[in-house]
Amino acid sequence: MWQKSLSPQNLSDDEKLALKKAPSLRFRFIVSGVIVICVIAGIAINLIFDYSRQLADLSYDRLLRSALLQMDENIALIDNQVSVDIPWSAFATLAQADEDRVFYKVESLEQGFITGYNDLDSEPPKQPVLDQMQFYNQSYSDELVRFAWLERHLTNPESAQTVRIILGQTRLSRERMASSITQRAVEVVVLIALVAIALIMIGSHLVLRPLHRIEWALEERVKGDLTPITINTPKETHHLKVAINHFMARLQKNLEQLENYTADAAHQLRTPLASLKALAENARDNTSPEKQHQALENIVRQCDYLSQTVTLLLNQAVVSHRLQTHRLEPIDLLEPITASCREHAVPALHQGVRLSYECSLQEAWVLGDSFSIQQMMQNLIENAVRYSGHQKQQQTDVIVRVEELSKIYRIQVIDYGDGIAEEEKERVFERFYRARYDIAGSGVGLSMVKDILDHHHAHIEILDTQPKGTTFQVDIDKLSFFRGQI
Amino acid sequence: MKAWFTIVMCFSLSLAWAESPTVWFGKKNASRVLVINSALDLTSFEPILQDFVAQYPDVRVAYRDVNTLELYYLTIKEQSNPVASLAISSAMDLHFKLVNDGYARTYQSSLTDNLPQDFKWRDQLFAFSLEPIVMLVNKDAFPGPLPEDRQSLLQTIRQHGPAMTKRIGTYDIRQSGVGYLLASQDARQADLTWGRLLEAFGSHDVQTYCCTHNIIDDVADGKLVLGYNLLGSYASQRAKDDDRLKMILPKDFTLMLMRAALIPKNAPNPQDAGLFIDFLLSDRAQKMMQEQGLLFPIHPDIKNAEDPFVVSAPGPTGIIELDQQLLVGRDHAKQQRFIRNWEIAFEIQREE
Repeated sequence: MWQKSLSPQNLSDDEKLALKKAPSLRFRFIVSGVIVICVIAGIAINLIFDYSRQLADLSYDRLLRSALLQMDENIALIDNQVSVDIPWSAFATLAQADEDRVFYKVESLEQGFITGYNDLDSEPPKQPVLDQMQFYNQSYSDELVRFAWLERHLTNPESAQTVRIILGQTRLSRERMASSITQRAVEVVVLIALVAIALIMIGSHLVLRPLHRIEWALEERVKGDLTPITINTPKETHHLKVAINHFMARLQKNLEQLENYTADAAHQLRTPLASLKALAENARDNTSPEKQHQALENIVRQCDYLSQTVTLLLNQAVVSHRLQTHRLEPIDLLEPITASCREHAVPALHQGVRLSYECSLQEAWVLGDSFSIQQMMQNLIENAVRYSGHQKQQQTDVIVRVEELSKIYRIQVIDYGDGIAEEEKERVFERFYRARYDIAGSGVGLSMVKDILDHHHAHIEILDTQPKGTTFQVDIDKLSFFRGQI
Repeated sequence: MKAWFTIVMCFSLSLAWAESPTVWFGKKNASRVLVINSALDLTSFEPILQDFVAQYPDVRVAYRDVNTLELYYLTIKEQSNPVASLAISSAMDLHFKLVNDGYARTYQSSLTDNLPQDFKWRDQLFAFSLEPIVMLVNKDAFPGPLPEDRQSLLQTIRQHGPAMTKRIGTYDIRQSGVGYLLASQDARQADLTWGRLLEAFGSHDVQTYCCTHNIIDDVADGKLVLGYNLLGSYASQRAKDDDRLKMILPKDFTLMLMRAALIPKNAPNPQDAGLFIDFLLSDRAQKMMQEQGLLFPIHPDIKNAEDPFVVSAPGPTGIIELDQQLLVGRDHAKQQRFIRNWEIAFEIQREE
C-alpha cells in the first residue's frame, strides 16, 4: 500500500507472479474488439467476393449477349434451311476477354446441328423461354464456361423453325476482373480493420487512463496518508474512487482504534506495574518476616489482578477484531448467556455470590456474534459479582434473567450491591471510568460492553434494583425471518 | 458426309505421312528426342534446327514436314498419345482452334512472358515470326507492267486475258490450311475486291496448289506468271537468289501472318519442346532468321532498311490477329459456304 511505485522491480515475487497470472482488462478489451472487427471484416470480404463476381459477370455477360445477338442477327431461313453466317465482329466482341476460349453451337430443333461444337449439349438451369436469353455456368472441355443461351422462332411464309444458339466463354477474364476488384476492396477493408484495431488500442489506453491516474495518486502518497482521493475522474471511475475513499476512511478508523487500544493497554498495565514495583520494594525493605510475607501476598494478588487485566485486554482485542471482521449471523442468544453463567457460577460462589439464571425460553434467535455476546455477558456478570460481593459477609444474589418481549429479547443482570449513583450512570461506559477505586477492576469492561452492544444495535440501560443494587438491562432485537435478514 | 470426309482426310494423311520422311538432327546417341511436326519448309528451318542441336547436344530433333491442314487433323488424332512434342504451323486459325478446343498444354518461361500479348494466347500458343503475304511474279513472263496491288492485277488479267489464263497460281483452300486462312482474310479485308478476284481467277483457270514451293517453282519456270497470296518468307528467299522473280507486297493492303507453335496436351517431351520455343523466341534465333534470310522475325532489326527480311509494305498492313476472331473463319457453316463459293467460282466439281 505504501510503496512508492508499482513498477515491476518494486513488486515482490508473489505480486509479480500474480501480475503474470492476472487477466488483463486491456487485453480482453482489445481481443474482443479485434475479434469483432475480424468477424465484420470477414463478412465484408465475403460479400465483396460475391459482389465482385456478380459485377464481373454482369460486364462480361454484356459482351456475351452482344456477341450472341450479332450471331442471331445473321441467322436466316434460306430455301427453308437455316443458314448462319457468324459475323467477324461477334467474335471481336468476345476477343475483349483476351484469354478466354469460346464455344458455341447453333442448332435447329427441326433440322438438327447447324454449326459450332456438335458435342456441346448444354441445358439452361431454368425452364427455357422463347426469346429470353439465359446465362449460366457449366463445365465444358475441362473448364468452367459461362454460357448464354437463346431459343427463338425463325419464320418465313413457307416454313418455321426453332433455332437454339448457345455461346460460351471461359471465365478467365471474369475471374481476373473479380479478383482485381476483390483485391482492391479487401485492401481497403483490411486497412479499415487495421485502423479500427489501432483505434481500439489507443482507446483502451485512454479508457484505462483514469484507473492509472487513481493508481498513481495512491502510489505517490506519503506513508500514512489516508485522506480521500481528490483527483477528478470520469463518471465510470467515480464509484471506484468513492469506494477507495470509503475503504481508506475505514482503515483510518481502524488505525485510530488501534492507537486507542495501544494507549488503553499502556494505561491499564502501567498502574498495576507501578503498584507491583512498590509492593516489591516494600517487601525488599521490610525486615520483619510477617510483613515481608504480607507484602509477598500482596504481590501475588497484584499479579493475579494483572493477569486478569491482560486477559481482559486480550479479550477486548479479540472482540474488537471480531466486530471489525466478522459479519453478524443468526445465533441462539441463550447459548453464550448460559455458557457465561455456567463459567461464572463457581468463581462467584467463592466470593459469596449466588448466581442464578432465570429463563423460560427454549431458544432466542438474534443476529449477532456469539463470542462477543459471551464476552459482554461475562463482563456484566463479573461486574455484578464484583460489586455485590464486595466486603460482605452474608451471601447476596446476582440474577441473570432473559425475557421475551414483542420485538426484543430483554436480558437483565441484577445485583444487590451498593448501586450506582445517578450521576455516575452516564459515565460508567466511559473508558477507564471506575465508580469505586477500592474495588479491583480494569475500568475497561463496561466500555467494551458498550462497544459490543453498539455493534449489535442493542440498547443498554442501567436501572436501580429494589431495595438496592443495580440492574443492567439489555434489549436486543429479535431475528426477524420476515425481513429476510438471515 | 462428315465421316466420309474424315476417311478421305485420314487416307490423305497417311499418304502425306509416307511422303514426308522424318529428318533427324543432332547426335545419334543424344539422351533426349524431340519430335517436331511442322508445316515449315525445311529449307527455311534447317539452319535453326542445326543451331538448336548444336546448343543443346543432349537433344536429338526429329523433324516431320506436314501440311498445315494435315497437321491439324494429326494433332487431334494423336491427342491422347502424340508422337510429336511440338507443332509448328503457319495456319494460325487452325492452331488457334486447337488451343481453343483444349488440345494444347501451357508453357511459361521468362521468354514467353516477355512476348507481347498479341503474339501469344493463353500461354499455349506462341508466335515466333511475322511475315507478309505477297504476290510473286516472273518479271520476264509477266505481260504488261508489274502489278502494284490487287486492282492493277485485276486490270492486267482483263487486258491480257489469254496470256494470264492458266498462268496464275494460288493455294487450293481445301487442301491447304494456310491457303484457306489467307483467302478468308482477303475476303474479310476487302469483300468486293475478293469477289472480283475470285471471278477473274475462275474465268482464267487459275491453277491451285497444295504447297508454296510448288507455286514458286512454277513461277520461276515461267509456267506461271504470278503466284497469289504466297508466304513472304519463302517468296523472299527465292526472289533473293533468282533474278527472274520479284516479290510484290500489295499496296492496297498487305496481310501479315504469324507462324505459331504449340505443345500438344499429352506431348511426350514437353520440357524440350519448351526449350525449343524459348530458342525460337531468343534473340539469337530471331536474329538468325533475319540475317540468314530464313523467316521474318517478330521484332526485326531495322537498322538495315534494304534488308528484304524487314517488311516495308508500301500500303497498309493487315496483321491477322491472334485472337478469337480466327474461330469465325473456321466456323463449320462459314467454311462450307466459303469453300463452296470458291469451288463455284473456280468451277471445280465438288469431290462429293
